This record gives sequence, C-alpha cells and structure tokens, in this order.
Amino acid sequence: MSQLQTRFFTDNKKYSVDDVPFSIPAASEVQELSNVINKLLEAKNGSHSQIEFDFLVRGQFLRTSLSNHMEAEGISTEDVVEIEYVERFTAPQPEECMMHDDWISSVEADSEWILTGSYDKTARIWSLEGKAVMTVAGHTDVVKDVAWVRRDGLTSLLLTASLDQTILLWEWNSERNKLKARHCCRGHAGSVDTIATDPTRTKFCSGSWDKMLKIWSAVATEEEEEVEEPPSRPRKKQKTEQLGLTRTPLMTLSGHNEAVSSVLWLDSEEICSASWDHTIRLWDAETGSVKTTLTGSKVFNHISYSPLCRRLASGSTDRHVRLWDPRSKDGSLVLLSLTSHSGWVTAVKWAPSHEHQLVSGSLDNLVKLWDTRSCKTPLYDVSAHEDKVLCVDWTDSRRQHTSNTLTHQACINLERQQHTSSLD
Amino acid sequence: PLPPLPRPHPAKGIHKCRKMGQDIRNTVGNVPMEWYQDYPHIGYNLDGKKIFKPIRNKDELDEFLDKMENPDYWRTVHDKMTASDIRLTDEQVDLVHRLQKGQFGDVNFNEYEPSVDFFTNEVMIHPVTNRPQDKRSFIPSLIEKEKVSKLVHAIKMGWIKPRKPKETTPQYYDLWAKEDPNAILGRHKMHVPAPKMRLPGHEESYNPPPEYLLTEEERLVWEQQDAEDRKLPFLPQKHSCLRAVPAFSRFIHERFERCLDLYLCPRQRKMRVNVNPEDLIPKLPKPKDLQPFPTTMSLVYRGHTSLVRCISASPTGQWLVSGSDDFTVRFWEVNTGRCMKTLEVGGAVKSVAWNPNPAVCLVAVCFEHTVLLLNPSLGDRLVVSSTDQLITAYEPPEEDKEQAVTWALSEGLEHNKGHRLTLTHPKAVKQVVWHGKGDYLSSVMPDNSSNLQVLIHQVSKRRTQNPFRKNKGLVQCVSFHPLRPYFFVATQRYVRVYNLIKQELTKKLMTNCKWISSMAIHPGGDNLICGSYDCRLAWFDLDLSTKPYKMLRHHKKALRGVAYHRNYPLFASGADDGSVIVCHGMVYNDLLQNPLIVPVKVLKGHQITHDLGVLDVTFHPTQPWVFSSGADTTIRLFT
Repeated sequence: MSQLQTRFFTDNKKYSVDDVPFSIPAASEVQELSNVINKLLEAKNGSHSQIEFDFLVRGQFLRTSLSNHMEAEGISTEDVVEIEYVERFTAPQPEECMMHDDWISSVEADSEWILTGSYDKTARIWSLEGKAVMTVAGHTDVVKDVAWVRRDGLTSLLLTASLDQTILLWEWNSERNKLKARHCCRGHAGSVDTIATDPTRTKFCSGSWDKMLKIWSAVATEEEEEVEEPPSRPRKKQKTEQLGLTRTPLMTLSGHNEAVSSVLWLDSEEICSASWDHTIRLWDAETGSVKTTLTGSKVFNHISYSPLCRRLASGSTDRHVRLWDPRSKDGSLVLLSLTSHSGWVTAVKWAPSHEHQLVSGSLDNLVKLWDTRSCKTPLYDVSAHEDKVLCVDWTDSRRQHTSNTLTHQACINLERQQHTSSLD
Repeated sequence: PLPPLPRPHPAKGIHKCRKMGQDIRNTVGNVPMEWYQDYPHIGYNLDGKKIFKPIRNKDELDEFLDKMENPDYWRTVHDKMTASDIRLTDEQVDLVHRLQKGQFGDVNFNEYEPSVDFFTNEVMIHPVTNRPQDKRSFIPSLIEKEKVSKLVHAIKMGWIKPRKPKETTPQYYDLWAKEDPNAILGRHKMHVPAPKMRLPGHEESYNPPPEYLLTEEERLVWEQQDAEDRKLPFLPQKHSCLRAVPAFSRFIHERFERCLDLYLCPRQRKMRVNVNPEDLIPKLPKPKDLQPFPTTMSLVYRGHTSLVRCISASPTGQWLVSGSDDFTVRFWEVNTGRCMKTLEVGGAVKSVAWNPNPAVCLVAVCFEHTVLLLNPSLGDRLVVSSTDQLITAYEPPEEDKEQAVTWALSEGLEHNKGHRLTLTHPKAVKQVVWHGKGDYLSSVMPDNSSNLQVLIHQVSKRRTQNPFRKNKGLVQCVSFHPLRPYFFVATQRYVRVYNLIKQELTKKLMTNCKWISSMAIHPGGDNLICGSYDCRLAWFDLDLSTKPYKMLRHHKKALRGVAYHRNYPLFASGADDGSVIVCHGMVYNDLLQNPLIVPVKVLKGHQITHDLGVLDVTFHPTQPWVFSSGADTTIRLFT
C-alpha cells in the first residue's frame, strides 16, 4: 500500500484544481500534499505563489500521515479518497498587550472597542490599538462581568455587573468621552457573575450566585421608574443610588440549585444558563419556564453558543470543552469532547464568523484555538499568558480574539490572526 | 480341635444307681422351686426329712462332659423337685415318643375301633323329638331389631363411618428411586485405583537394541551405586534367542515390592482445602464506581508567607478563609483563587471557623489568648448588615456576672477592618468551633492542670460558661453534634460524648491511639472520625460500639486534619507526609448495615517543609472538592 488514489476538491474557486484522481504516496503528510496542490496551481497559473493548505478527509483534519489517518478513521484504501483542502489558518499572534493593575474578570469586544471588567472595581474601555479610553468606576466591589448593549453611532450603552450585587447600565459618548450611569439594577442577593444582552438589544439577563436569573430592561429611560424605596433602608445603600435610577427586574427565573455561572441568549425568546449544580438549562424568556435541562457531571464555568453551527460549547471544572446540541430533545448528550487542557476550562467562545472554530481559556495559562473538525488536538495553543486565563472573546469583524489573563502586572493580550485571505 | 480326653467320673454313676432304686418324693407340693434357692435342702420327703440338694451343682463344663460321654444323656431328665437326674426307662422313652407323635399314651388303647352311630343320618319316620317350631322362629327378633336400630341411629349420627377403602399401595418402596442413574455412586466416586506398574520397555527385552545395553563403565557405575539410586533395577541383557533366557531370579523380590506398593499405597483421597486468597478479601466496589470524588489538583491559593494552619469554607461555598503563622487571615474566592481580603491579627492563627449558619456572616479566628469574631463583609449585603445589627443589638444584662473571658466590642479602625467582638481568654487558645445553629461557639485552651480547658460562648448574649468541673486530661479538640445537643471532647486518648441538656457523660470512646490530633463528626451525627499523631484514623460508629469500627493506617506520618463532606459520602485526611487521602464513607440509614469505607484517592501536591505536610483539610460545602492547607504556605483545591 504505497500509493493511494486521491481526488482533491475545494470550496474556494481561487484554488480549485482539476477533478482528476491522483496517485499519492500513502505515507505523505500535510506538507507533501500541500506541495502537490501548489505544484498543480503553478502549472495552471504561472503567477501562483506558495500557499499553505490544510486537508480534510471525510470532515476530519489530517494531522498524521495519510495512511495512519485512514487506518485510525477506518476508511477503505481501495477506493478513490476524496480530500478537501482549505487554506491553512495561520497561527494567532499576540498583537497588543493591555496592562491592568489588577486581575481581569471579563472581556467583551466589538468591532471598535474592547470592554474589560477588573478586580480593581472598575471596568475599562480600550480601543483596538490597546489604548485605554475610559475607566468606568462606580461599583463598590469587584466587577465580574461586562457587556455591550448597543452602539448607536457615538453613544453606546454598556453594562457592568459586580460582586456588590448590582448591575450598572452606563451611557458612553465616545466622541466627547463622557460616561454617565443611567440605571442601577438591584435585586440580586449575591454577586452578579454573568450578564448577557438579548439579540434585540432591549433586554438583558443576569445570573448570580444567589441561584437566580433575572431579566431586565436594557432601555435607558429618563423618568423615575417603579422605585418606591422603603424608608428603613440603610443609609449606605442610598448613597450608591446616586449613580443612576434604580431599576428592578422584569422577571426572575429560578430553578437552579446552585450558583449561576454563565448565561446567554440563544435567540430573543430563549435563554441558556449554566450553573454550579452541573446543569445547563434552557429557559423560555416569555414565560420564564425551563424548557430543557442538559445535565453534566461537573460544575460549568462558561458556555458559548454559535448560531452558525447551532452548537453549545461548555467549559467546566475539568479538562474538557464539551459541545452540546441545545435543540436535542433527549437532553444530556455530549456531542463532542475537546480534550487538551490540563486545568479547569474557564472560558469558551465560538468564532463569530467561522462555524467550526472556537477558543477556550483555562487555568493552565493556555488559550487554545479549536476546530471542531479536529477534535483530538487543537489547531493552535496560545501561550502568551503567564497566569490563569479567566475569559476570552473574539472581536467581531476582523477575526481577532482577545483573551484575558491574570498576571501580577495583569495584562490583556490581544491576538490577531494574520490576514491572508480576502474573505470576511 | 481334638476332642477332650475322656475322664472317669466314678461318683456319678454310683449316685445314680443309688437313686434309681429309691423313691424320693418331695412333699412340698406344686410350689415354685425357686423358693428353695437359698436353702441347702429342696423339700421334705415322706418321712418329713429334708431332701438336700446335691453338694455340687453341675456347671456348664460338667454338662458338656456329660453330654459327650454319657450315652444315655439324651434320655436323662432333670427333676427339679428332687434336684436329681433321672434316666428314663425304655417304656418311658417310648411313651414320650408316642406322645410326641400325638398318639395315645396307652399302648393297648385302640383308637380305631369301629364306631356305632347313636343317631342315624337318615331321616326316620319317627323323629327323636316332635316338638313344634317355636313362635320366635317366625317373627322378627326384637333384640336384632334393637341392635339394628342402634346401628342405624349411630350411622345417622355419624358415629359409625364407612370402612376406609383398603390401601392397595405396597408397603415397601424403591430405596434408589431418587438416585440419578447416571451419577457416580459414592463408593465409586472415592475409588482410588491401585498404582499401575510401569510397562516394560526395550531394556527389559530379551534382545534389546544395542543402545539400551550398558557399556562396561556404565555397568561398573551401576554396580557401585546404591540400589535406590539406580536408574534401572536390573541390568539389560542380550540373549540370542528366547530359549536362552534364564529364569527370572528377581521374581519373588519384584512381587514382594509390588505387594508393598499396593499395601502402602494411600487409598484415601486427601481433602485439601483450596482457599483462594482473593476470596478472603472483602468485596469492595471499585473507586471508579464511587465517583464523584476529588481527583486532581485544580487551584493553588498563594499569598501566605508562612505555614497555613487552618482553613474553613463559607456555608455557600463562595469563599474560603485561612489562618497562617504569618499573623494574617486571608479570604479567598474559591473558583478563581483570588485573595479578596487580608487581615493582620496579632499572632499566629491557630484556628479559623466560618459560621455554619448561612444567615450570619461571621468568622471566628483564634490566636494566642484571643478569639476574634470577624465580619468579612463577603457575600450577600443583607446578611452582612443583619449580622452587624445582631451584634450591635446586644443589651448588657442588669447584674454583671464574673465571666472567664472578657468580651470586647471593636470600634473605629478595627471595626472597619472587620473586627466585631474580641474574646480575651486567660490562656492560649488552640481551637475554636461553631455550633450548627451559629449562635454558640466553643474554644479550647489545652492545659493539663486545671479544669478551665473548654469554654462555650453564646454570641447573642455574650455569655461564657465552663461546662466541666474536672480535668479529664489534655483536651485536643472539641466538636458539637450537628443535630442533637451533644458535645464531643477529644483528649489525648479518648473521645468523651457529653449530653448538654442532661449535663452528663453519655459515652467514652476508646480510640486505641496514642495522641489524637483531630476529629470530625459525620453530618448524620452517628459516626465520627479521629485522626491521630501515630498515623492512624479511627472511624467510630456511635451506635455500634465505643471501640473503633475501623482503623485506617494509610498515612505514613502523623495525621493533622480530618473532615467529612456535608452532602457527599466522602471524608478526607491530611497528614505530615504531604498527602491528602480521600475515602468514600457511605453511612446507611439501615441500622443493620455497617458503613462502607473505601479509600478512593491519594492527593499529592503539598511540599513537605520542616517535616510538616498538610495541616488542615476541609471540604467544599456543595461540590465534591477538598481544600488542603500546607506548611508550604499554599492552600490547594482538589476537584
């Protein structure tokens, strides 16, 4: 078995080759196959320059020699092997390092700005170039999570959740660089660990250590809402109220038996939450009832949902990133386990524009970039951080991902992909 | 056997002849002769003289000799009346014969004389009697009627039952009916065949192949060898033909040896008991099936600069407090390992305890002579403020009683740091522990010489009492029962259980340890574990006995801390060898079932510093995670 009949194909018209079977040495690896394709393209197009390719056999990335891969996957070597090739995704490089004075608990990036929450009780807004634009100070305790609500031109709304049991809704004008606290959301009886804005950008959901999920309105209003303060409130609380109008939750979702660690919106009617009680629950946002419960065996740290592939990824207090199908009726079926970390997986995030890619951050100081078509090994390890990774995020349009670390100097590392393709 | 020699017996014959002539008649009549057994005489003759028994009774031997020698023995009978032997005459013998045959005794009697019928068998015209027939022969019998009517009545009443049908089944049965015809019978089962003789080989042939014949040297060696060492008991020999084979000289010898073989062969099966040593080990489930339990080290909480003596987790499981020899108390966020707060206290912290009541946010810290109640201001704001209110709401009673400790409320800067109440003890405090409700706490001041070793404090009333009047030994640690009003006090070798309501000693547990270091009570309250400095961990079932239900000797060095999990069936022990051993300890509700104890995991991670390894272990209140604090200044979380 020294030669294999193969046929190459690709979705990218730019690099397509003739649809004829080739005879390839069975022991050839990715580099040899890539050379073959490059030779073919050069023969077709004289001005072709060398490009690295990756190869997929039946939807799985080729990582070893072709014969080993086919033996492991149980593919017959008698037939013509269909090999798909795609342009290789180049290794992410750290691009910017944003230094904080303290640990960073959360990060959320959009196309222009990066919002971080920190253990020094503030949140910060950074430009993509790594310049600190604004410091959001107002909480009396550690900021646990941050979220963008909406960005209408120069004014944007953002949320910060804190250990002091409140969520603050801020209005930020990026031109004048003015920040104003619009609302203070009170109601949780524990630290608010996670918040998520719904797709319509009018509501948001928060999850707390007190086992509750609460849905709030995210629309900034001017007039005093349903605030009827009982006179016996301690004086200390009333002081913090100066930061904005007090807002109470629209709805409370109770059902978790332990602290809620992560929450997100699947769509505008469905909320998904992960908890320390080893379950992921799907809630109906209209009625507030539990629709589905996915049960795991470990505490969930973080979940992420990709609308492109309709999969839920979860990071838990073991070494695995698990993929779930939230629509499946049979509940607790793990579709895939991605195992390569050696510590708790504290953060997972699907790529916003790629249906197969996700990043995960772990307490073993590593951020890993995964492709679900190669579930045994990650595509790349990003080992720029010197301490525990607590959160990761992708920037929206330009395929970056930011991740966040805990070092004594505390820095945010921003890794940017090398731009090699004209797609996106 | 030869017949015995004939012996003359002259006296007998004379005696007999003399008797024959005389008519000795006994006049005692028809009485049992046994009456005269004990007398020398046997009766009286016609003259009224005693008839004496013969001087010597015949014994069996005489009887036998008589039977052999005396030709008239067969016609001699013994007369009991006279105690003499009588030889029957020919006529008498003849008479006996006749009587035996059923003939008449008289010889002259003719029994076959022709008979003359008195009545003829023919009916004569003149009957003998002409009596008319009775009337009763024509009418039914009254007696019979009565009898029949009685029977009928009895049948009606059910007194008489119809006769049972006769059983036709045979009386005997088949003894072997139940036996399996294919089974090997017992005696065949135990059959041991005789050892077989070796079949003759080529060397025994009269004309063996030359390679079987011994060479000269071999023959010499054979001859010099002992008979027992020889490979062959004979020399193979070659003969030209079968005719030339001489007689087998060893025949007798060989037969004898064969007989010996058969005779000495053990003909009994030895019953050997084959016990698989694996079967003697009790069946324990595999640790894999007992999940969840902590398996790997996940987080390291770094920050202390000296050994961390004690840790305690908050009842919600969000925070962890640790006390160290660097004079600080640190508060940690459990899931990130972030140190949220550091408090300096004035001494090496010996023990910390988070109030188990989730509605109160208080941490008891003890160092030197002081027990400090801290409000760490972590967790729910409402709980934090209500705790402060609870402490400030205290009103001092009218009469001030003298107390063993002084209660002081912290104010100003110390209040801002989190200090709330300071309890100054007369002696150095080693341990502090909360009651499950969170109002009472107990502190231990080990002292061999006084009864002031254990104090119980009530926070809401700021009262202190000393429950013990006598010193029963150096107190190591104390604990409250989680459900009932019991109090556990561990001294060096014993654990005493006191009933706090009745104020009496309930139980005294013998640990068989030299020096107890730590103690933990199962959340169900019926089980207890004790760690000791002599590397042992004793599990007590309080319902079972005052002796340990199980002693575990898994650690190589002295145990420093033991802990039970609140929900999961787990317990852990930390020791100076730097390891934490997690065991599955399932307690069943069924009183008949003993607790199941399976060691499941050895967790390593702590470095041994100054011969000290792990100093304290505690479980996360909701997750199957265990925290351990070590002499290497770290706290580690195993999940």
